[in-house]
Amino acid sequence: MLSIKNLHACVEDKQILNGLNLEIKAGEVHAIMGPNGSGKSTLSQVLAGNEAFDVTSGEVTFNGDNLLDLATEERAREGIFLAFQYPVEIPGVSNLQFLRTSVNAMRKHHGVEDMNAAEFMKLAKEVSKQVDLDPSFLKRGVNEGFSGGEKKRNEVMQALLLQPKLAILDETDSGLDIDALKVVADGVNALRAPDRAILMITHYQRLLDYIVPDYVHVLSEGKIIKSGGPELALELEAKGYGWLGVKDDVAANH
Amino acid sequence: MKPVSTLSSAFLQPAGQALPTALLTLRFDRASALADLILPTRRTENWKYSAKHLKLTDDMASALPLNASAEAVADNSGYTVVLVNGIVRPESSNYPMLDGLSIQRFRDLGEDDANLAADLLSKSISDQPAKSGSVNLSQLNGARFEDGLLIQLKPGTVLDQPLFVIHHTTASHSGSAYPCILIAAGSNSQLTLVEDYLSSGDCPVMVNTTTEFSLDDGANVTSIRLNTEGQTVQHMGTTGVRQQRSSRFQSHSVGFGGILRRHDLHARLEGEGAECKLNGVVVTQGTQHYDNHTTIEHVAANCNSEETYRNIVADKSHAVFNGRIHIHQDAQKSNANMSNKNLLLTSGAEIDTKPELEIYADDVKCAHGATIGQLDKESIFYLVSRGLSPRDAKVLLTMAFINELVDQIPVEQVRDTAHIGLNQFFDQAFQEV
Repeated sequence: MLSIKNLHACVEDKQILNGLNLEIKAGEVHAIMGPNGSGKSTLSQVLAGNEAFDVTSGEVTFNGDNLLDLATEERAREGIFLAFQYPVEIPGVSNLQFLRTSVNAMRKHHGVEDMNAAEFMKLAKEVSKQVDLDPSFLKRGVNEGFSGGEKKRNEVMQALLLQPKLAILDETDSGLDIDALKVVADGVNALRAPDRAILMITHYQRLLDYIVPDYVHVLSEGKIIKSGGPELALELEAKGYGWLGVKDDVAANH
Repeated sequence: MKPVSTLSSAFLQPAGQALPTALLTLRFDRASALADLILPTRRTENWKYSAKHLKLTDDMASALPLNASAEAVADNSGYTVVLVNGIVRPESSNYPMLDGLSIQRFRDLGEDDANLAADLLSKSISDQPAKSGSVNLSQLNGARFEDGLLIQLKPGTVLDQPLFVIHHTTASHSGSAYPCILIAAGSNSQLTLVEDYLSSGDCPVMVNTTTEFSLDDGANVTSIRLNTEGQTVQHMGTTGVRQQRSSRFQSHSVGFGGILRRHDLHARLEGEGAECKLNGVVVTQGTQHYDNHTTIEHVAANCNSEETYRNIVADKSHAVFNGRIHIHQDAQKSNANMSNKNLLLTSGAEIDTKPELEIYADDVKCAHGATIGQLDKESIFYLVSRGLSPRDAKVLLTMAFINELVDQIPVEQVRDTAHIGLNQFFDQAFQEV
């Protein structure tokens, strides 16, 4: 489904990704771990099409298409979904209006008729229950005044609503207490499907207790330096990144 | 340096004499007082940002045809009075005879009502002696009106539907028009007035308007001002409001049209417990220039005022907001709130915003805020990453800026017109290359 070859990317003049390779097939769940500054979020932003990042070389194909040739909105309509690490607050734009515009943009792209307001409302209420968000959230501004946990649940709710082919979750577990983590994990597990892939970016092994990945990758200085099964995450939890020859968080930041 | 120019005397020559004596006298006095009106320059404080956009030529001095008939006017959901080039067209108007409501054109006024109209005009805020160094071109209206409307509501009269006053300007050749509307709302009466300024033709014209509201105790008046004039119209309007005890005035102004628009809105809270709420939405594009000057005077104690203006500027257009709050010494317990937020859509667009507070009482609440910003790139990315086109994302974000104000407009038909105008604006401003 997704094939990344020798990807190099920079933001402003800072080189962040340095030859990243990754293959993800339909039905798989991949986790990428790594210290701060290793390029995890950059990878997710580049895949989603944030123009603040420049791809300097390498290629990315998504279901056979050159992903890097597609505009941000085309990527989304083709089925790429990014759950943001820091979802933006947009006062004045209601969640409901935003989500309906989004769903209908996807439907239009696939030649399906718009969903009317009543149908949409019903669907939106269902998925908001799935992530334990009160439907009154739908009427509020996008992420406006939401707590950290509510924002993350709102992201997962959108993924459930939009049913993407590839869901990229950028630290969707950060800032969640254990109950919220379970809710989010249940939501993500509900997304698992044979025709869908999930790419989770996380700092902590904790999330992987609830969403068991098929593959775990360690990202360091813009490259994947080790890949393995779920047991790799446990090993990282026990030993830190040092045993891989990677500077740990503190060292990387100082 | 170029010498300051004065308004050519041709601008002070009315075309007709078909008015009651009291109004003819008043008009003559106004023209005499203005005999050497100096045109504003960039050193004129209240025209600082707009003077260079003012392009009055001598061929604009002549009155636009006084006998032009109204072109088909859209069906309105309420009562309608049509003025063409400032002249009332009874044959195109449609309003019922209601107890307590009187709608008369100036030309038909009997002696008593003519005296009342002259009195309202002589007390008109737009004709108050200008502050030194300021020029109010709307004063021209008093020297040039050829007709007008006097709307009176007897105490307790409630108009069940909005009254639309359609101001049509025919710009098939150069000239100017001077519509004038006076509203005397008796105690506890209620009225929603929609002033709709539109034009046809594409010659340079000036529309110079006066609207004066007088609200007796407990009157409740909503004024909506919609501006969809063509790109050759220079619009200069003044709205004056005098409010007595416990009266309520709210104004909603939505502007799209005209190449230059200047609106002076002056509300005086003269009786205790009066409230006014002024909302304004301005969108500009191309080389349009919009200048809103507002003054709220708290004269009596215990009055509330709330003012919210939003400007959205695109291309090389320019919007000015000058909001003045003046709290007199006796106006204790005044509560005044003013907010002006601006959105720049391009690097060539310009905003000038200036809050002015003048406070002489010591026990008042007075807040003001002004911001200038751009659409947030991260917000655009967030929305586009969910499949929205960049245009739709920008429209959502821009509408978020003004939704609240558009939603507050209490007449559905005006909200619809506003949405149509905004969509046309977005089509231009957010063209996808």
